[in-house]
Amino acid sequence: MNNPTTPKQSTVQKRLLDIRITPRMVRWVDLAGQRAAPIGVLIVFLAAAFLAPAFYKPSNLKTISIQLAVLGIVAVGQTLALLVRSIDLSVGAVLALGAVIVVQTESGSSIGLSLIQAFGIAAIIGLANGFLITKRQVPPFVATFGMMWFIQGARLAYTKGQASGTVPELLRAISIREVGFVPAAFLVFLAVNGIVYFVIKYTHFGRWIYAVGGNPSAARYVGIKTDLVVILVHMTCSILSLFAGLVLSGYIGYIDLRLGTDYNTNSIAATIIGGTTLTGGRGNLLGTIAGVLLLVSLLNLVVVLGLPIHWQYAVQGVVLVAATALQGFRQYLLSR
Amino acid sequence: MKTMTNGQVANPSFWQKVRVFVKSNVSILLIYGLILVVGIGTAVLSENFRQFSNLVSLFRQSIVLGLLSIGQSMVVLTGGMDMSVAMTARIVNLVVATFFNANSIDALILPMLLLGGVIGAIIGAFNGFLVTRTHANPFIITFGVASVLRGIGLAISNVPIRGVPSGYLKIYDAKVAGIPVNVIVMLLIWLSAYIFTTRTRPGRALFAVGGSEHVARFSAIRVNKTLITAYVISGVFAALGGMFLLARSGVGDPSAAEGLDFQSVVAVAMGGISLYGGKGSIFGALGGVILLGLLSNVFNILQIDVYYQQLLLGLIVLVAVAAYRSPRSL
Repeated sequence: MNNPTTPKQSTVQKRLLDIRITPRMVRWVDLAGQRAAPIGVLIVFLAAAFLAPAFYKPSNLKTISIQLAVLGIVAVGQTLALLVRSIDLSVGAVLALGAVIVVQTESGSSIGLSLIQAFGIAAIIGLANGFLITKRQVPPFVATFGMMWFIQGARLAYTKGQASGTVPELLRAISIREVGFVPAAFLVFLAVNGIVYFVIKYTHFGRWIYAVGGNPSAARYVGIKTDLVVILVHMTCSILSLFAGLVLSGYIGYIDLRLGTDYNTNSIAATIIGGTTLTGGRGNLLGTIAGVLLLVSLLNLVVVLGLPIHWQYAVQGVVLVAATALQGFRQYLLSR
Repeated sequence: MKTMTNGQVANPSFWQKVRVFVKSNVSILLIYGLILVVGIGTAVLSENFRQFSNLVSLFRQSIVLGLLSIGQSMVVLTGGMDMSVAMTARIVNLVVATFFNANSIDALILPMLLLGGVIGAIIGAFNGFLVTRTHANPFIITFGVASVLRGIGLAISNVPIRGVPSGYLKIYDAKVAGIPVNVIVMLLIWLSAYIFTTRTRPGRALFAVGGSEHVARFSAIRVNKTLITAYVISGVFAALGGMFLLARSGVGDPSAAEGLDFQSVVAVAMGGISLYGGKGSIFGALGGVILLGLLSNVFNILQIDVYYQQLLLGLIVLVAVAAYRSPRSL
């Protein structure tokens, strides 16, 4: 630490709070940050085998794969947002809004039209988020949290507090229908991941995302339109979370007011435990997939073990706090 | 508060002084101007709004948000954010109500107030510990803590808890010369918070740390101690908010303080405290709290549908945050 003027501390305080930073420790923390999610998944799966064999029932595995798909699609967008040093707290609201638009307007107009409408609205929301963050320099979490409020208000005003309607057949087809052994939602999830993986690995745009996240001013100097990248990332994020909302409503077969409330916390927790740092430029989709799998199986384990539902909040929170602490510390050590 | 950085003349004329004053206090003037415009506009339109009792109730309604916003201001001034204030308030609300439920006697009031404050301080210290030790993003990590607290709150009770002794309700009801005591106390709390941030050493340290941790460290300010202090203050004020809510509703409410975490951030940000830390005034935060309270009062008087209220508030928040352009680019 380069602080020559550290104030005097008592010895007790020193022993309690100051950890000696060695190169080996840096290496271990870095490794832990990258491998936390896969290791966690292994532990959870082993623990489930002993504690709750019902976890491995085919019907439960199917549930997990669909939940994995929905949260996974949201988390892909969230990963992109975190990679460019941003964050999106409006994903849960967008997810619910999409479901409402498609399901409510289905009676009367054609499904294609309402889909176009929904995706158009998601794109506008993403555009607004990106605009607030880049052009008005609003801190990302404030801008997107405000957006969440606004969208929820809009949804409540639109539905008057009572959601109704039947879920169109098309949405059932992309989520709960089975193709061979696996539910369609899982295949959709794989397809989305494949496309986004390809884009960030093999296209200019993908490299730009890492460049903007790693060092925005350097990225600007080499001629990358950083604002445009952030805006496009936010539009992608909103569109993906809307898509996840369609898959979710297809799965549960109805919509209610509390739909999508947990997806903000969960998508961020999954992304961060998967190795993406909040300071941008570090992280990848494979880690996020492992993070989503970890979180979904933990939450599922709570249900399978028959614990009260408030344990789910505790699990979400503990994973989020632990992951943020780990990644924050890792980033601190690496950038020292 | 702020030093005159440009336009400094040896003998500034009156208008130059005015210009410098306006320039350095633009956000505060803006928020109180808005309050005046909205207030006068509604007073002209609505008979009910003009009642003295309505004004008093307006102030009383904004006490909870005010308490949470004072704590939030301290944290935001250091460049952090505390998203666990609402859930801290809820936990304290439920814990105190649970104790009262077991033993509904007036003698328990003072110990309970102390207990609530201690719980708030512990949660705040935990937040501060996480933020200073792990160097993690304060917003996300307190968001996670809030999620854990939400779970704990549900574990304590998911039905309203009865049994608050009648003496405790006086916190909300007691009046002196027609004005509720709590409104007067709240004004004193705002005043002391203002003095704390402008006139005391630990208060000024908040600004220094928020401006630049690095520079603060070189100025022999204990950065970690300052940060932990800010989070502890925030936790204690959140606890006070929770206990005031208990006196207001008379039952321990498992859904207490929902959404107040973000509202406190909005109030603070609207009052001109920079969300990047180091700039702003408690006086501005007071303006933000009054404006939010005024708006919800106006919505109720104009009988706007509750669903449209959230839509409008969200829109106002977005416009407000978009209007402030932070000088620091990313």
